[in-house]
Amino acid sequence: MIIRGSRFQMPEKAGDLIQGTLDMLILKTLALESMHGYGIGVRIEQMSKGVFRVNAGSLFVALQRLQRSGLIRSEWKASENNRRAKYYVLTEQGRKRFNSETREWERQVAAIARILEA
Amino acid sequence: MAVLRTIAAGLRSLFRRKTVIREMDEELGMFLDMAAQEKMQKGLSHDDALREVRLERGSLEIAREAVGSAGWESVLETFRQDIRFGFRTLRQHPGFAAVVVTTLALGIGANTAIFSLINALMLRTLPVRNPGTLVELFHQYPGEPAFNGFSLDSYKIIRDGNHVLSDLLVDSPDFFEVRGETLETQKVIGGYLSGNFFESLGLRPAIGRFIGAEADDLGHPSPVAVVSWSYWKSKYNLDPTILGKQIVVNDTPVTIIGVTEQGFAGLLSQEMSQDILLPLSMEPVVHHSSLGWGSMWLVGRLKPGISIDQARAEMAVLFDSAIQAPDVGPYVRQMKFKMELAANGISTPLRQMLRTPLLALMVIVGLVLLIACANMAGLLLARGASRRHEMAMRACLGAGRLRLVRQVLTESLMLSLFGTLLGVLIAYFGVRGILRVITSGRQVVGLPVHIDAFTHPDTHVLSFTCVIAVATALLFGAVPAVSLSSLLAPGLQQIARIGESKSWRRFSKSLVVVQVALSTVLLSATALFVGYVSNLRNLDLGSRRANLLLVSLDSSHSGYDSQRWSGLSQQLLAQLESLPGVRSATLSETTPMSGTGASSMALVKGHPENRREVSISFVAPNYFRTYGTPLMAGRDFSSSDQGEHLVAIINQTMARDYFGASNPIGSYVTLDHITLRGDDTPTYEIVGIVGDAKYNDLRQPTPRTIYLSAYQEGRIVSQVTLRTDIDPEAMISAVRQTVASVMKTVPIGRVQMMTDQIDASIVPERLVAILSTWFGALGALLTAVGLYSLLAYTVARMTNEIGVRMALGAKPSDMLWMVLTDALWMVCLGMLIGIPLTFASKRLATALIDGLPVQSPIPIVVGIAAMIVIALCASYLPARRASHVDPMVSLRYE
Repeated sequence: MIIRGSRFQMPEKAGDLIQGTLDMLILKTLALESMHGYGIGVRIEQMSKGVFRVNAGSLFVALQRLQRSGLIRSEWKASENNRRAKYYVLTEQGRKRFNSETREWERQVAAIARILEA
Repeated sequence: MAVLRTIAAGLRSLFRRKTVIREMDEELGMFLDMAAQEKMQKGLSHDDALREVRLERGSLEIAREAVGSAGWESVLETFRQDIRFGFRTLRQHPGFAAVVVTTLALGIGANTAIFSLINALMLRTLPVRNPGTLVELFHQYPGEPAFNGFSLDSYKIIRDGNHVLSDLLVDSPDFFEVRGETLETQKVIGGYLSGNFFESLGLRPAIGRFIGAEADDLGHPSPVAVVSWSYWKSKYNLDPTILGKQIVVNDTPVTIIGVTEQGFAGLLSQEMSQDILLPLSMEPVVHHSSLGWGSMWLVGRLKPGISIDQARAEMAVLFDSAIQAPDVGPYVRQMKFKMELAANGISTPLRQMLRTPLLALMVIVGLVLLIACANMAGLLLARGASRRHEMAMRACLGAGRLRLVRQVLTESLMLSLFGTLLGVLIAYFGVRGILRVITSGRQVVGLPVHIDAFTHPDTHVLSFTCVIAVATALLFGAVPAVSLSSLLAPGLQQIARIGESKSWRRFSKSLVVVQVALSTVLLSATALFVGYVSNLRNLDLGSRRANLLLVSLDSSHSGYDSQRWSGLSQQLLAQLESLPGVRSATLSETTPMSGTGASSMALVKGHPENRREVSISFVAPNYFRTYGTPLMAGRDFSSSDQGEHLVAIINQTMARDYFGASNPIGSYVTLDHITLRGDDTPTYEIVGIVGDAKYNDLRQPTPRTIYLSAYQEGRIVSQVTLRTDIDPEAMISAVRQTVASVMKTVPIGRVQMMTDQIDASIVPERLVAILSTWFGALGALLTAVGLYSLLAYTVARMTNEIGVRMALGAKPSDMLWMVLTDALWMVCLGMLIGIPLTFASKRLATALIDGLPVQSPIPIVVGIAAMIVIALCASYLPARRASHVDPMVSLRYE
């Protein structure tokens, strides 16, 4: 019964996220349109065709972290079914970070691919 | 920017906690709803949908926790929870909390008190420019303490001849009688300064201007004065119109031209503030002295690049030439030069006198603190063991090990904080108490102590207290934390049984052993110091000390010449002797152990090789009868000696040193001084021999002493001594009336018992004895508490076992002995460690205090005996409880 280690669970069996990539995926989602927490989770799942399933704990911790570093901001707006929901919006700084991280990611992926193909 | 945002967001969730939580709840609620909605659209029931979501997305409670503990502010938040929880636990165990806090407070308080004295006397630097390059100059007569007191001539030679000092400052201290239009006549400490004084120290006036170079022109005295800031505040309420006001200093009017900046009040820094500062040129006008040896404090400033050793070497040569001047007496010629750094202000008798005792006491309070730490570690350990169920429960509910350790550490820190606060309070009053001991009796060798300077908070003292507070918290606080970790390590099933493990018992016992060892050292030291002081107090003075009343008359402004004085004083003595209760009365220039005296070189006629230093005492007839010093041969002085040839009485030591077995009566002795009658190197006929009586220092053997007739020499001697048949205290008012009726213009200075004066002459020893008694008792008490609580805890734990043993036929006395043997083992082990430690610390004690009777085995025996008695007292109650265990009750216990 003792819960050892950290108290929030990291991503689940359905495809573990590489450390740090969750932030990039959130930024990508928000680059398309501003979104509430659940929407972000669903979108990531959809875009990955169900490979990544984001757990609520990790998602909201990441959102808080991004918000505090100024990459995203939040605002309360009416949701699609007319309830108040917290929407996350990419800031200008966030967009820049997303672009640079995407480039870096692509560079790394290409490099790894080359190694694996060799 | 990001940092600022992080801080702002963290602060928001700290201070607008409710809003933040509500928003989080709302957001998570939305999340859950939306996810569930989607599931329900696929046909699941509401409950099933919620269940699915939790399985897929994880528990939302955990999500909320995760978000809450991700930010930096969560550390503070946890800390707040820990503190609140800690408060609650401590409130549930008020007795435990009180014992720990008091123990800690006493330990920290004692350390802070002694440290703040050390700080004020030895560490605080003067508030002047570059205090590190200031040096103090001394001369030292062989076998005497070094003394900063130079003459005008030697000052000039040193000032003009040296190449190592950029400045040489003079402060010639004096007591002033000050009056002014708004001031009542009052005694004020002040001094005469050289013209470079303020400039060289880099001081600026608070208002007005300072004394300048004109101060050194002794031919043209300038009647001006600078007053200290504190004087300005207390007497003039910081009124700026003080500038230009006239005050009268010892009958000389001077004009106030400036005020020193706040915090500076002369070179003595903490102990004595010089409130009225005059130019050096005013000394001959106000004090009428010739600025001879002993009148000037000299402080120099080293030139850049000159080390103190270089400076010493050059100055010593210079000083030797200064004392070869033809008009210098033989006493001065034997003096050696000394120089020390003076960043903390110049050294005073108080400072010299207290240095070693304070260091000794610092060691002692350090030991007390160690005992306190061991004690508290033991208490916390026992408590940690009894809390293991609680800890296990909390671990079950999800608390991580780190979290539990943090909680326990927070509690220790809280105890330490309360202990420290209380300790600082204890230190504040403790310092005042200690200063009362220091200033008791003799007026701290002439210097009033500014108590506020010692208790005034200071960064040194505060940081010292913080360091020891944190260090002790870590020392004793780590124990329960570590024991907790080991508690949790093996897993829950075994938790209930840990705590009585062998290693735990051994550790608790070794804590008590440490306390016993340290206490043995402390108690032996206490016995040593107390024995030493009580020896000093009961030492054979060569006179009877009880029922002696000392009354000092202030003859300085009486207006009487020596002729008139001698007449009036004889009349006074006659009237005093006629008071009921007074057996005899006498007058002398100084009284024994008063801290003042005189000496000269003496030459006996017919023995030119026998030129030695003798102490001189000017006394009136009846001196020996009053003090109870036996007259061994010859006669006492009488009033008929006046106007006759000079006569003297010598003590046995002097008789033995000069005359051996032959009879000194009728011989002649020549002294190297000038009488007030004008005889240069006068010759005295020895008319009597008296028993040896201590002169000025209890610790030293009686010096060769020659007694001269005050009346014959035309001396104005003003120290009255009365031998009474009743309590001298009861005589005081009658004595005051008699003095007032005979000598109308003579005020009475100090009135004191001889016993108090003796106490005052051994202040450092008494200080160490009194405080080490307190600290020794404290250490022993703490050890007793430690032993008691360990035994009490053990007996409580063993109730079951004792019950079984008794049920199987053990007698109550067996149980009593079992507990007592346990205690005695710990005590014996502690002593095995403590006794060698005591022997080692004896060496330290001799280094600190001369003449300590460390060879005597009595202190150690006393220390050991006291320790055993204390241990038996502490273990008796638990032992008795063990012997009273009812087998039936105890067997039902678990």
